[in-house]
Formats: sequence, C-alpha cells, structure tokens
Amino acid sequence: MNENTSTQQVTPLFGNDVLGRVERLRLNPTRRLTNRSQGEHLSGKGGTSTEFSDYRDYVAGDDIRNVDWNIFARLHRPFVKQYQYEEEMHVAVLIDASSSMVFEKKFERAKQLAAAFGLMGLLNLERVSVYSCNHVGTRPVFLPPCSGRTSMNRLFRFIESLEGGGDFPIDEAVDAVLGRHSGRGVAIVLSDFLTFGDVTRPLNQLFAAGLETFAVQILSPIELEPELTGDLRFVDSETSHTLDISSAGDLLGIYHEHRLSLEEELRKQCRRRSGRFLSINSEDPLDWVLFDLLRRQGWVR
Amino acid sequence: MNWPGFSALSSAWLFLLLLPLLLFYFLKLRRPRLEIPSLALWRQVINDNRVNSPFQKFKRNLLLLLQLLLLCLLILAAMQPFIHSGPERAEYLPVLIDCSASMAALDKPEGESRLAVAKQNVRELIENLLPDQRMSLIAFHSTVKLLTDFTNNRRVLLDALDKLEVVEVGSRLEDAMRLTQALSRTVPIESVLIFTDGNVPQQVDFELPFPLNYQKIDPAGANIGITALNARRAGADGWDVFVRVESAVSGQSAGTIELLQDGNSIGSQKVVLDQGESERLVFTVETQAASDLEVRLTPSDPDSLASDNIAYLSLPQGRPLRVYADPELASFRHALGAIKGIEMNAEDQESAGDAVYDLMISDQPEDVAREASVSLFVGFVPDDLKSLVSIESGTATVVDWERSSSLLQHVQMADVQSFDEPHKNENVTDGDIEQFGYEVLAFGRTGPLILKRRLGARLSYHLLFHTDRSTLPYRIGFPIVVANLVQIAMQHASLSEVRGVPTGVLPARFLEANQQYSVRGPAGFELDVKSGDDALVAGIAAEKAGIYEIQGGSDSNHKIGAALFDAGETSLQTSDELEFREEISVSATDSPIANDKPLWPIFAVLGFGTLLVEWWFFQRRPGGYIRP
Repeated sequence: MNENTSTQQVTPLFGNDVLGRVERLRLNPTRRLTNRSQGEHLSGKGGTSTEFSDYRDYVAGDDIRNVDWNIFARLHRPFVKQYQYEEEMHVAVLIDASSSMVFEKKFERAKQLAAAFGLMGLLNLERVSVYSCNHVGTRPVFLPPCSGRTSMNRLFRFIESLEGGGDFPIDEAVDAVLGRHSGRGVAIVLSDFLTFGDVTRPLNQLFAAGLETFAVQILSPIELEPELTGDLRFVDSETSHTLDISSAGDLLGIYHEHRLSLEEELRKQCRRRSGRFLSINSEDPLDWVLFDLLRRQGWVR
Repeated sequence: MNWPGFSALSSAWLFLLLLPLLLFYFLKLRRPRLEIPSLALWRQVINDNRVNSPFQKFKRNLLLLLQLLLLCLLILAAMQPFIHSGPERAEYLPVLIDCSASMAALDKPEGESRLAVAKQNVRELIENLLPDQRMSLIAFHSTVKLLTDFTNNRRVLLDALDKLEVVEVGSRLEDAMRLTQALSRTVPIESVLIFTDGNVPQQVDFELPFPLNYQKIDPAGANIGITALNARRAGADGWDVFVRVESAVSGQSAGTIELLQDGNSIGSQKVVLDQGESERLVFTVETQAASDLEVRLTPSDPDSLASDNIAYLSLPQGRPLRVYADPELASFRHALGAIKGIEMNAEDQESAGDAVYDLMISDQPEDVAREASVSLFVGFVPDDLKSLVSIESGTATVVDWERSSSLLQHVQMADVQSFDEPHKNENVTDGDIEQFGYEVLAFGRTGPLILKRRLGARLSYHLLFHTDRSTLPYRIGFPIVVANLVQIAMQHASLSEVRGVPTGVLPARFLEANQQYSVRGPAGFELDVKSGDDALVAGIAAEKAGIYEIQGGSDSNHKIGAALFDAGETSLQTSDELEFREEISVSATDSPIANDKPLWPIFAVLGFGTLLVEWWFFQRRPGGYIRP
C-alpha cells in the first residue's frame, strides 16, 4: 500500500497514478445481470435507448410514437421500432475482514482491490456497495449502494476506515451479506477462502441472487511458501484452536497439494456458476495485479 | 547358526538408560507455538491418509526412535558382542610362526614373502582377539623363541609380530612343540596354531599332546641356491673347492656360479638344473697362504630366495700337523712316522711343555690339562670317572664298538685283548658315564674300553687300557686307528679339509683370554662378547648369511663368513602332513581360521551412522515448494 498520505493523494490506498489508470478500466462481466433501472449496460430485452434492436407488429396499446412511419408508408402496415434497454448493474464488493486476513498485508491488498473494483463500478455508473465482515453474529459493515464519480470519496473513506479482525468465516459472511443486498450484477468476493465450512453453498447463494461471482483468493507468503520444520503447535488466528504438527517439514508437500486442491475446487465451482476465480499473493505488486493480471484474465477491459 | 555371545554382558544394565531417555523426551516435548491465519488447510493435511499411514506415524516420532536406536547400538557395542567360531572357543591360543630361511621366499618377483603372508594372517587374528582371549606368539626356526607370554594386549602382540624377521637357518619343530607343551602345563591349551610354508621336516620326534591347526602358507616360486661349500687340500700348494648347487622342487632353474678369492674373480661356471636336481661344481685354487673365498650365484630366472645365493669359505695357511707323542709310546710314534705331513716332537722331548699341538698322544694323566685340539690318552681313567670306573688286572676283550665313529672306522676290534680290565663300579650304568659328557666307543665285558669326550672345541679320546699291555699294536687295525686319529686332528685344524660355516651359531674361536670383543655382522648385527680363561669365544648367533667380524684384542680382525647351506630350505619343498610319534599325523589346511568375530566395531559404526542421520534429518532445510 502506498503510504504517501500527502494532501495531493486522493486516497492512501494507492497512488494517484494508479487511480488514474483504474479510472480508465471497466468491469467485464460474462453475463449481463442487470436491473430494471436504467443504466449503462445494454439489456437483452427491448428498451428506450437509442440503440435499435428490432421491428415487431403493432398491437393495440403500443405507444404510437414508436411506429416507424416510413415502413407504414411503404407497406401500409404499422410496425413498431424496438430499442435496446440500457439497464443498471449492481457491483457488490465483499471484503473478508476476519483475523486470517490481517496476516502479511492480505487485508490491505483486499482493501486496495475493493477500492479499485468499486471505482471501476462508480465510473461506469453502476450501483456499488461494499460489505466488510468481521465477527460472527454481527452485521456486516457496509457502504450503501452509490453510483457516479461523486461517490468516489465516499467509497474511499469507507474502505479506508475498515478494520481487520474477527472470526467471520467467508461462507457465513456471504449469507449475512445477501440478507441485506438486493439487485443483480457482480459480486466481488475478496477473501483467503480458508474456511472450515463448505465454499459451495455461498457460491450457490450468490448465483441464485443473480450475482456473477468474481472470487479473488488472497494468500500471504506464509501460506504459499511456508518454511516450517520440526514439531510445532499451530494456533488458529480466528478461533485460537491449536493443532500439533510433528515433522512439519515433511508435511509441506501434502500441504501444498491440499492448497492447490482448494484453489482448483474454488475455480471449478466459480466456473460452474459462470463466475471467475483468481488466486494472488498479497506480496504481488498492485500494478501488476490490476493492469496486467486482471486484464489478461479478462476481468477488466 | 551361532548366536552372538557377549564379552561384557554386565554392561546390559545400561539398557536402563532407555527409561530416562523416554522420560526426558516426553517431558521436553514442548512444541513452539506458531500463530497462523487458519488451521483449515493444516487440519486437512493432518486428516490425510498418507499422514496417518504407519510410516508417517513412524516419521513423526523419528527423533525418539533414532535416539533409542543410537542408545541401543552404543549399549550393544559396550556389551562387546562376538560371533562364536565354533562350539569350542580357545581362551589361550599359542601361535607358532615359522621364521626359517624359506619363509623369506617370494611368491613372485617383487612379491611378498611367506613370512609377510603369515604375519598378515596372525595380525587378523590379533585384531579379532576378544577381551577374554589370550594369545602367545612363538617364533621357531632351528630353535624356538617365545615372543610374548599369553596376553590380550594387542599392542604388545602387534609389536612383537612387527619385529619378527626371517632367521636364515633351517627349521625344526621339536623345540617349538616342547615349548608349547611346557606352556600347556601352566594354562589350559585347547588348540595350537602353526603358520608355516610347510618347509619343515615331515617327521617330528614329538608326542603331540594337543590338537594342532596346521595353517600352510601358499608355496613360493622357483629357486636355486648354494647348499654346500667345502675345500679339500690338493697337494702342498692348492685346494679343490666343491660347490653344490640345488634347485627348488617347483621348477627349472639356471644361474652362474662365480668364485672370488680375496675379492678377485678366479672362475665361473653356468649351471642349469631341472626341478629338484643338484649339481656339484669343482674349482681349483692355487694358494699356500690363507685366503677368503666367496661364491656368488647369479640366477638367470626369477629366484624366490636370495639368502642362499652367496657362500663363504676361509682357506687356512698350509702347514704340517703338530703332533706330540709321548716318547714312551713307541708303537704310536712308529705308526705316526709313516704318515706324511706331520711334525712330531723329538724322541728326547719327554714333556709336551707349553707348546700348542694339534694332536697329543700321552699316557700321563697330568697331560690331560695341556692344550691340544685332539688328544688321545692311554692307560688311565680320567679323574672325573674314577668314581665310576676302575682298572683292574685281568683279560679284557672288546664285546662291541661303534664302527661308524671317526676313530674306529675300518678297524676290526673283535680279537683285541687287553690285560688291563676296566670295571664299572657297582650300580654304575653307561648312562652314568654319559652324564659326564663321555661317549662309549668300545664296550668290554666289565666296562667301557674306549671313551670319547668333546669339551668345547676340544676332542679327546680315552683308551682305558694301555696299548703296551694289549694286542692292539699288533693288530692290523692299529695303524688305521692312528691314521684316523691324524685325519681327525687335521680336520680339527682345518689342514686337510674346510667346510663352509652354516648360519645358526658361529664356530668357537680361540682368541685371547679374558678379552672383550665386538662382533659386527650383516643387517646391522652387533654383539659384545668376552672370552673366558680358556680364550674361547663361542656362542655367537649368526641369524643372517654374511661376513661376521670379530674385533678386539691385540690380534687383527677375525672374519667368519656364514651362509645358509641348507638343502631343505633351498629346495622349498613343503609337507602337506606332519607326522608325529605314535603315528599321529596333522594335515595342512588352507581354510581360514574361524576365529571369534567381535561385533562391537560394527555396532559402533552403526551408532555413529545413526547419529549422522539424526543430525542431517533434523538440521536439513525444510522441503520447500516453488510456486509455479
């Protein structure tokens, strides 16, 4: 995270240069999950935009203003011109703020990505809402849906104010978020997905809610390349549960197999629901993630 | 299968150390706490079947298992286990090592000697010696030497073994067997090991009281060597020198014999011998003065044994034999007068005086003390035998006599009568007489008639009857007896024949009385000897072939050349079976000795290896994972 907090910086989450480049990016969802309200996204249905879509026979009750009089003059039959809808897409950003995310700048990276994705949504006139889940049993901290450049500072201040810590597992957090959220669009889930629960259920819930899932798994170096040896007692940062490990060095191979298996399972589950999945290292450069990795993966354009 | 035994079984109590090790392990097993983001993945890892496989469980406690294994190995090493060689296990083991001349033979050119092979075998025995086993090293050649008492001190045994060298003499087993038998009276000996190349007399005059393990070293290669060198006077100014060359039984050999007189070559001959053959070569040396001869054999083919390729002979200065014959003994003087080459005292010289004679013939008891190489005393009993034998009047006839003795050979004594009749006193046997150093050459009906005695370098004959009162001077055998006596004297004075000196013990020399001498010989041999009142220097061991110089006194240096001169050693003939008395025979074996094999070094090495594995296993870098 850029620590330069001079007054010229719009947000301490990243620099103005990054901000300028992010402003030119747009989310690139696979599906067109939009809302009825008018927006920037062309709907598959007929609408009132200037984009011509098709003709159909006039039926009683149709707005006579939509009759194509040129066609009527040639064919002596009324045809109604149809236009594409331009509907609004909802961008819901869910930040896992549990204690496991506090390790090694994982939460910082999640906040940076949340700000970037939110900015992209705002500038594309989407309705952007941000949810942060800390403790089980508490309501998620959330930014109500907002839209447009005018909401940019509000978005940044909200994200900057988020605190990490807690024991909210991501599967339950999704449940809690969907209890407050309404609207179709894109759900961007920023988490390490290290949960004892089943990750299939939240993905199903998101899919059922009409949200295309953009899942970003943020792992720290200690999770990606642990250098452990000997007999150890692991303590869970969220639950404080312990686990005794003997000859940890010998188990690293199996650990990596399970980590890759989780990654592959998440990718498979997201793809099944027309979603996307990406695993990144919290130490990876932000520029590379935003402007190289996400572009190459087709997440943004 | 032989189960291993333990030399120090009491060390098994060290196994109790396993208990504190286990206790300390579990008490000390405090795992360092490490907070991690989530246990989710690690719990999956722990629940993995592979982690819970028996091998993985074993690996989880590998530190404890390695420490237990290390401790067990060290304790087992401390218990000094060994594998039994067989049902019987020798606690006291005498090892006889042949170090005679043939043990210096090489198996091939630039190869290793038989003694080196034997020493290597014995070294393995010593290194595998168990703490409760005692070994005694005994070296034998023509005689025997106890190198070490029974001991389990490897350093003492190995030092004694390393110092063992070949003694260039022949080999005899009897003395070694007798020494071993003496040892067996002090400690219980169950078996005796003997390492030899088999070049020992097959017949051993010994009653074997213990089992003998005859370890035969592999035979050596071809060999040729000088086995005899002597010279016989040929006329007044010359010598005929005879050299006998023999080949080993293993193959054909050839070489060149070169004769050197006082360092100058005076002749050479080539010799080619089939296996086991011998040849006598004759050289003529024209000299009246004393001179030293050296014979060198230069083999044409590879030669196993080098010590028999050189021989020495000292030719004395030519002179007549100096004889003192009592003027009263006319018969002897008459017979001596007919023999050439002698210088006899005048008839009017009634006493021998202080002159030194080569031969003295006397009937005066006081002449016994006079100095002469060979003496013949007539008509009286020596003082030391007077308590055993007395001369009485009577008629004595010869019942039997030693026909092979030098004095009486070719002499018919059957019809000789004497009017002095020697009588053995009551309860006196011939054995009693022999205990005084006398040998009976002629037996009468009541006692010995002719005695022989060798005292140091002196030889004396005693006729216990006076020839003037016997029929001997009138018999045809009398001049033959006198001629034999002269011949014996000439041989003693080295006037008619000289023989090469074999290794072993140098011949006694008359030098100066009570004088300190220094003897130097080959291979750095040095010895200080002192002559006695009789001016005799004797008992000098000559273990190597070569020139021995005796320095000291007012006289110039004396040189004695010694050579191997042993046909048995040169032939390198081996016996696969030794025959002892009572028809006991012992066969040679080539199979290695099954000695008790100590196992503690193996356990110690395994323990060290376990320590290294433990160190490596727990100090290595953890298995990393390279992110794709």
